[in-house]
Amino acid sequence: MEDNVTRLRNAVINYEMETIADLAKQALKDGVDPLVAIEKGLAEGIKTVGQKFGKGEIFLPELVMGAEAMKSALAVLEPAVPKGKHRSTAGKVVIGTVQDDIHEIGKNLVSTMLSSNGFEVVDMGVNVPASDFLKKADELKPNMLAMSALMTTTMPRMAEVIIPLKKKNKSIKVLVGGAPVTDTYAKEIGADGYSGDASGAVDVAKKLVR
Amino acid sequence: MAFGIKRGVRFNILSESDLDRIHWGTLHVLEKVGVQVDSVACRKLLKDNGCEVDDKTRIAKIPSHLVEEALAKKKSSVLLAGRDPKYDMKLDMNHSYMTANGNGAVAVDFETGKRRPSTKMDVVNSSRIIDYLENIHCHWPMVSSTDQHPSVVHLHDFDASLNNTEKHVMYETGVTISDAKDLTEMGYIAAGDEKEFRRRPLSSCLQCTYAPLQHDAGVMDASLYFAKAGVPLVFFGMPQPGATGPATLVGSLVVGNAEVLSALTMVQLSTPGAAIIYGMGNAPLDMRTTIRAGGSPEHAISSAMATELAHHYGMPSCVGVSATAKTPGDQAVLEYYTGCVGPLMAGADLMCGVGLLEDSSCLYYEQIVIDNEIVGAIARLIRGEWASDDTLALDIIEKVGVGKNFLAQKHTMEHLRTDHFMPTLIDRRSFDAWSQSGSKTLVANARDKVKWILENHKVPPLDKDVQKKLDGVIDKAKKSMWGGESKTQ
Repeated sequence: MEDNVTRLRNAVINYEMETIADLAKQALKDGVDPLVAIEKGLAEGIKTVGQKFGKGEIFLPELVMGAEAMKSALAVLEPAVPKGKHRSTAGKVVIGTVQDDIHEIGKNLVSTMLSSNGFEVVDMGVNVPASDFLKKADELKPNMLAMSALMTTTMPRMAEVIIPLKKKNKSIKVLVGGAPVTDTYAKEIGADGYSGDASGAVDVAKKLVR
Repeated sequence: MAFGIKRGVRFNILSESDLDRIHWGTLHVLEKVGVQVDSVACRKLLKDNGCEVDDKTRIAKIPSHLVEEALAKKKSSVLLAGRDPKYDMKLDMNHSYMTANGNGAVAVDFETGKRRPSTKMDVVNSSRIIDYLENIHCHWPMVSSTDQHPSVVHLHDFDASLNNTEKHVMYETGVTISDAKDLTEMGYIAAGDEKEFRRRPLSSCLQCTYAPLQHDAGVMDASLYFAKAGVPLVFFGMPQPGATGPATLVGSLVVGNAEVLSALTMVQLSTPGAAIIYGMGNAPLDMRTTIRAGGSPEHAISSAMATELAHHYGMPSCVGVSATAKTPGDQAVLEYYTGCVGPLMAGADLMCGVGLLEDSSCLYYEQIVIDNEIVGAIARLIRGEWASDDTLALDIIEKVGVGKNFLAQKHTMEHLRTDHFMPTLIDRRSFDAWSQSGSKTLVANARDKVKWILENHKVPPLDKDVQKKLDGVIDKAKKSMWGGESKTQ
């Protein structure tokens, strides 16, 4: 049992994107508790990878490869978690790029950085209409909603989400980012947090979700 | 499997016919104008080989065939070995190497920030910094040990260098026969013995000629000694366009070339097949300030052209860069970048050197690591690019497809370290992240790096008995010059 979990952890640390899903299947076959496999295996592995990135020991592609490996294993393990049980995380985050904007690399980096720091991330992709964000927030009750916009023309879309969201559910924190977004603008539109880069986004998220 | 040939970037300034005209012009100068040769031994050598020599004016006129014969005896590939063989430099016209700058007499104290005469400790510290830096391949004693006995300052410089870096040490202080003997002996001791030194020379000597068209007696006598002893030499011309050479860069190149080729001729007559590197550092005289304009575009382009000329002769080049800036940072970066990028893009074999300000006279520790970063960026510029299955990455482009990203590809990882320059001082973080960690400037980052190197980087010292023998040479040299009495120490 211990071996299966250790192997999953190491597979994330070694970026075994192609083979980790098989390891996860084997773990389930051997009767490993999927929650243990996720928390002691995958989550521990990605934590190690994230720490290495933070220290400058590895580069972004390695971090992303670690996160990709984790994702493939999660796809096998999560459906096996018994109903009513949940893995413990640093918090649940719904993330996406606003309507009319398809610039997603920055959003993806934030998404990766958050998952490598223990957050459960639900990525809605790009060109997400305000109504979809609100529906998802209603459905999942996340701790945080994160939005990005790369263009000055799409920035106002963030306010379209924040105003109705805050009216309905004050407890969901909002994090915004993207090249043209500033701290001042974030405050103006009622966001709870802002970051200029992906690493900073994790720090802000940790402060907001406590 | 590797397929195809790796290409380096190389730009051309002079055409083949330009190079021929410079060469023929130089031969004309050597035959008609001649060079002043102060060394009696060298004048005899030239006279015995058919030159027209006037012992009164000390001017020797050298016929073209002698120069052509000397060029035919040159070495096209020169090995400059390191104490650790991983630092061996093979000057073969296909690699570029960067050296430290050398022989300043002033240093800015790293602790107090005070500008003061340099000490042996400065040589020790800068040697350790050079040993650590990945983009500096060859060491020069950067400053003089002015706190040591005046008769043996240069031997202390060499001693401190040998003990604190495993990279090759090139000095420019072998300017008399006795200097040459002591420095050669120390090199032999460090290598183990003469035979081992001749096989893998751990040290070499750069000799400056005197513009326009003069050769110092001590320098040339020492050079003949070095060549016989198997110590590789650089002959380095330095006419200043507008002052000690014509204002036109090509005209000054002819003057410098006449000096280098005549020195080469004398040494090859004395020791056929001696290892000689072609050197040049023609920075103009700044006509407003009377300061040599090191790091100017003219300096860079002159060094680039000298490299082309050296390669035209089938010789490796050693060309100069420096900066007139007084402090590390903006001006120094602009001057060092300009001065390095031109010659390195033209294929300079040995580029000298980094870390000194005030036109090669003042050591500023921070500038050494800043220049290391500059060379790293330029190394990436001149590496060259090529289209192969691996670099085209068509399979990866197909695999990732439309609208996704390439971050999680093994190909990305594999090529990151080889294909992308990773700066250590340039700060690419966002404004927020940068300002939160103190809004540090490049110079402040450089200072942190110097501090880290001095605290952490260890260089294996020479064996105790080797050190004892080196001390012996220094002691003996001190006595012989001062009649057995130490006047200052």
